[in-house]
This record gives sequence, structure tokens and C-alpha cells, in this order.
Amino acid sequence: MAGPTVKPPRVATGALLREFMVPVVSVAIAILISSVIILLAGFDPIAAFAAMLKGSFGGGRQIGETMLRATPLMFTGLAVAYGFRAGLFNIGAEGQLFMGGLSAAFLGIALAGMPRPLNIVLMIVAGAAIGAAWAFIPALLKAKVGAHEVITTMMFTFIGRYLVSWLVTGPLRADGQIPQTERLPVESTLPRMHEVLPFLAQSRAHLGFVVGVLLALFIWWVLKYTSLGYESRAVGFNPWASETGGISVPATTIKALCISGALAGLAGVTEVMGVHLRLFDQFSAGFGFTGIAVALLAKNNPIGVIAAAILFGALSAGAGTMQLEAEVPAKVIFIIQALIIFLVAAEQLARWVIRKGGRQEVEHAG
Amino acid sequence: MDSKLRKVLALLLVAALVAVFAVGCGGEDEPVDDPDTGEAPTTDVRAAMVTDVGGLGDKTFNDGTYEGLLRAERELGVEIRALESNEIADYEPNIDQLANAGFDVIFTVGFLMTDTTIVKGPEYPDVVFGGIDQFFEEPGDNVVGLLFKEHESAYLAGVVAGLATLDGDLDDRINDQNKIAFIGGMDIPPVERFEVGFIAGARSVNPDVEIINLYAGSFDDVAKGKELALSAIAEGADVVFAAAGLTGNGAITACQEQGALFIGVDVDQYFSVEGSGDVMLTSAMKSLETAVFETIKAVVEGTFVGGENRTFGIAEGGVDIAPFHDFEDAVSQEIRDAVEAARQDVINGTVTVPATRDEL
Repeated sequence: MAGPTVKPPRVATGALLREFMVPVVSVAIAILISSVIILLAGFDPIAAFAAMLKGSFGGGRQIGETMLRATPLMFTGLAVAYGFRAGLFNIGAEGQLFMGGLSAAFLGIALAGMPRPLNIVLMIVAGAAIGAAWAFIPALLKAKVGAHEVITTMMFTFIGRYLVSWLVTGPLRADGQIPQTERLPVESTLPRMHEVLPFLAQSRAHLGFVVGVLLALFIWWVLKYTSLGYESRAVGFNPWASETGGISVPATTIKALCISGALAGLAGVTEVMGVHLRLFDQFSAGFGFTGIAVALLAKNNPIGVIAAAILFGALSAGAGTMQLEAEVPAKVIFIIQALIIFLVAAEQLARWVIRKGGRQEVEHAG
Repeated sequence: MDSKLRKVLALLLVAALVAVFAVGCGGEDEPVDDPDTGEAPTTDVRAAMVTDVGGLGDKTFNDGTYEGLLRAERELGVEIRALESNEIADYEPNIDQLANAGFDVIFTVGFLMTDTTIVKGPEYPDVVFGGIDQFFEEPGDNVVGLLFKEHESAYLAGVVAGLATLDGDLDDRINDQNKIAFIGGMDIPPVERFEVGFIAGARSVNPDVEIINLYAGSFDDVAKGKELALSAIAEGADVVFAAAGLTGNGAITACQEQGALFIGVDVDQYFSVEGSGDVMLTSAMKSLETAVFETIKAVVEGTFVGGENRTFGIAEGGVDIAPFHDFEDAVSQEIRDAVEAARQDVINGTVTVPATRDEL
């Protein structure tokens, strides 16, 4: 092992840098492979990425659009990342998101006429609570009888989605041709950011982005400096050792999955309050599932989630300009996203194989 | 280290192969612009469309709208462009992109884009907006809603189905239970029109027919479509009409496996769904191409009038049923006469086809 001459800070910095470099390199390789694909498809990759950059960061409005699309991914990315840190795969963030959206659509109408700051706080708290509640039953099943959360949270996603589908076509449907709820009154919506930051030029970016960034910092702090975060990480790292060390694994599992559910619920709340201002069947473009990719790319680091969400947001925001100016089909975005996920996942896979190999050697030695 | 490098290389190669394969497959569905022949007429009008999340290659209404653009390019020399939406959040910025790039006519496809079109119309008063399947309460002068009397083509399809289910000579898959089925995508006005028109048409020629009526709740759930069709066939339905987008393609498979006939929707699905000829009796079509082309033509010729909803029915050549294709010889003269009589009744107003369940 390392001798006494090695200075600890330098080692830490090197490891940190390496951790940081892996996702960056993955993204770079993904862009490189995508370029080859775009070239093979008969388009100009340089023009394509230049147009995409222009469409995502080329001006105030474009930056705002990137922020808009990064917002739900920050919440779902944080949700999935927090789960992973506690050793839980919350694949059902989409369902928790739908329930958060449902509560916002319902409360937003019920709270009509009340002061805006009060509504915003109430709707955010309620959406987080219902997201947590939607994760609670799977969490309980996991803690008490060991039912795997991948199955149960996924099943709750179906229940949530179809519940929303029924409500917007039935009891909560507003008058008109389209199955959707009534439009929220202005006091139940999130303010748009250009009202404070004029350079964002009428873009649709809303307060949810700021909430997401602050929440990411908060979750980072929780994981690093609180006993709750410590317990979550300990259980995720090694449940048996944690149990021996006096941490209640069932209780920690329930808390962690509920926190994850609350974070995912907020994605639904902010989409309804900030973007669509109402609820309908297809208000989420699979943000709960893209959140898994975001968490993966961020290596489950809450700060990393901010960056990963902005990257995915930029890809989504730049697609239109890429189509218009470079005439590359918008679906190329999905290929780039898939490649990023693939490369990041493959890296994890390789690392796992290496670690597994190392452990076996130790076992043989013992 | 060396083996790790090899692993990484192998993974990269696999990734590249998979990706190339994916692009290759996707490529078949993408309409390809034909190079200009050089003698096409020219105009400086530019027309574009924003697809809904189904995108180009959906073989129904996005592609139908694009056909209209292609025809305008061919016959009028209009520059055209289609922007695909990956998600609902793309609708607004895609319209902005096209308007800011100087397009004169923008078609927004699908009823889900109604709200967006209402917002964007006044923002770009110099741009003409055509809302496909969209009804506007108070359209501005630059906005036109392009709607179809789906119930009229469905009425004809209902006449065919209502008589076919009684006609054991037509096909040996026809049973004597006198049951047919309707499968809807989502319960929205255009689909309701298909449903109601189909029921009215079938009952007009066969008052005792039982119609099994099912909704999938989705336009892109092929498995659900198959499941619903299988259950309808198990209950005795021998003709299935699906107005359900991609979901309906599952119903086609169910018909092929369990021996029932199928009626397609929006376009002539005999052509758009390969290998479906053995069950495809006809299709209830709406001519998006005509509506789009006529709108662009009016703009080119300076005769465009907006501020209204334009409805295309049988009389306007906007909707009809497709030929019987592989069933051309099997379909009896009685059915042909009944369809022709129904078509004339609708055109000269003897029959008003109901458009909502309340009117049925």
C-alpha cells in the first residue's frame, strides 16, 4: 500500500479528477461515434453539433430553453441517485413524478385566489409528500418482506400513470376537446426566470430550475454531513456491516426510498406548475427514466446531477436548431443519449468486473 | 491493461455497429426529398410542418401532412421543411424556429398542438398557421383549423362491415354471430367521430348488428391493440375497425392470427402496413394531403382566407374509403351498391352522419 511519503491531499485530488474524467470522456466518445454515424447518414457532423450548440447555448432564449429541459431531469436524476446511494434502484421515478403532477394540478385549482408564495410552497411540499407516499408501499414491501423495488416501483408506475390517465379523461377533465385538467390560475404557477433575469429573453425557464439546483446542493450536504445521509450510504455500501454497526437497515431503506420518491414527485410538480400549467396524459417525456441515465452519468453525485441534467437538457433543446440548420433528423439526439448511457454503463461494468476479479484474488489468497 | 483496452475497443465497436444498424433501420421510414428535376415551377413561398411526437414515418397523419408538403414542392415549387418533435416541450420552440427562419406557412399536426397554435398565431401575424385536426374557437386571420368529417368515411366503412359480417360468401373467416368491433386509440373528438360514424353506418344496413366497442387509451401501444382485438375476436367479432394509430397495427396481427377481417384508418393501410393485404378489407381515409396542399396553394396564389375552421367531408373530397384491393373479387355487388348509395346520401344531404355519441 501507499508509503508514508505519499501526501493524502494529492491522492484525493487525483482520484476525484479520475472520477470526474470518466463521464467526460464517455460523453466525448459518444459525440465522436455520433459524428461518424451522422457522417455515414450523409450529413455534416460539424455543422450538426455547431447548430446544436447554437440551439442550446447560443443566446439567452436558448440558454433558458436548456434550463427548462434540464429542470425535470435534475429532480428525477437526484431521485434515482439518492436511491442508488442507499443501494436501491428506484426505477419507478416516473410513477412518483405522475403523482406529484397530479397533486399539483389538483391543489393548484383548489388553492385559486390564495397568495402566490403560499401556493408555491404548499404545492411543492404536497407534491414531495405524495411522491414519497407513492414510494412508501414499495419501500415497506422491500423492508419487511424483501420484495424487490425494481418490480414494485415499476408496478406503482403503471398504477400512477393509469390513475392519472383516468382522472384527466374523467373526473378532473376540463371542458373542451382535449382530455386535460383545467389551466392553473397564475397564483398557482411558478414564475418564469426572465422576469428576474431579462437576458433569458422570454424563454420558458422557470423557478423550478433554481429549486432543483438548491435541492441538489442540499442533497449533497445531507449525504455527506448528516447521520441520515451517512446511514443511507452505509446501507448502500454494505447492509450487513451496517446492521452490525447498529443501523436499522429496514428503517433506512424506507427513508431512502421515500426521499427518492419525494424528489421524483417534485419533477411532476414543477412540470405542471412551470411548463404545462395543467395536467394531461403525456405531460412527461419519460423524465423518470431519463433520470436513471442522468444519475448514471453523474455517478450518483448530486452536484454531478446538475451537470448531467444540463447536458441532457442541452441535447434536447438543441435538437430543433440541428434539424433546421443542419437538416439532421431530430431522432439523432436519442442515438447520442443512448451512446452516452451505453458508454457510462459499460465503464461501470468494466469497473465491476475489475473489482470482482480483485475480490476473488483476495479470497484465494485468504 | 492490454485486455482492458481490448474490452473497451470491443465495446466501442459493438456500440458503433448497433448505432449504425439503428440508423439503417430508421432510415427506411424517413421520407427522402427527391432532387429537383430542374423544370419545376418556382415561388418564394416557404412551407413547413411541426410533427407531433409520433414524428415522420408514423404511416398516418404526420406522413399524410408531409405528403401534402411534398406535393406543393413538386407542383408549386414551394420550399418545404419538416421539424420533428421528440417531446411535447418541442412544439413551441419548433414553431419559433420555423417562424424566425422566415417560413410563410406552418402546419401544426394533431389535436394536442391546439393550445400551442392558439398561443403562437398572434405572436407571428405574418405567418399562416394550419392546425391539422384542430378546432379554434376564435381563430385569428392568419390561422385556419383543418378538420375532417371522420364520421363520414367511418360511416361508409360501417356500411361495408355491417354487410360483410352477414356475408359468409365473402370470406370463410366470416361467422354467423353478427358481431363487429371498433377499437379506438384515445377518446378524443376525431376518434369519437370514427366510432360514431362506424356504428351509424353498420346499423343503417344491419340494425341487429352487435358492435363491440373498445378503447386502448394510447396511440402507440401495439401490444394493447393486439390484446383488445384478440378479446373482441374471441367474443365473436369477425370484422375489426381500429382508429388507433400505431396501436391499430397490433389489431392487424390479431386478425391475421385469429382469422378476422380488418378495416384501416387515416390512409390506405393496405399500402402503409406491409403484408396486411390478407385481412385489409378497406380503410377509412382522410385526405390530409389535399387539405395541406390546398392551403399552401391558396397562399401561393394570394387567395388564402384564414380566421376559420375548414372541414373536409366526402363532398369536399376530404374523406372516403379505400379500394378493397385483395378482396376486390370477393366483395359482392350488393355491398358496392350500398356503399355508393350511402356516399350519395351523404353528399346530397339525405343522410346526416352523427359526429358525437349524443347525436347517435
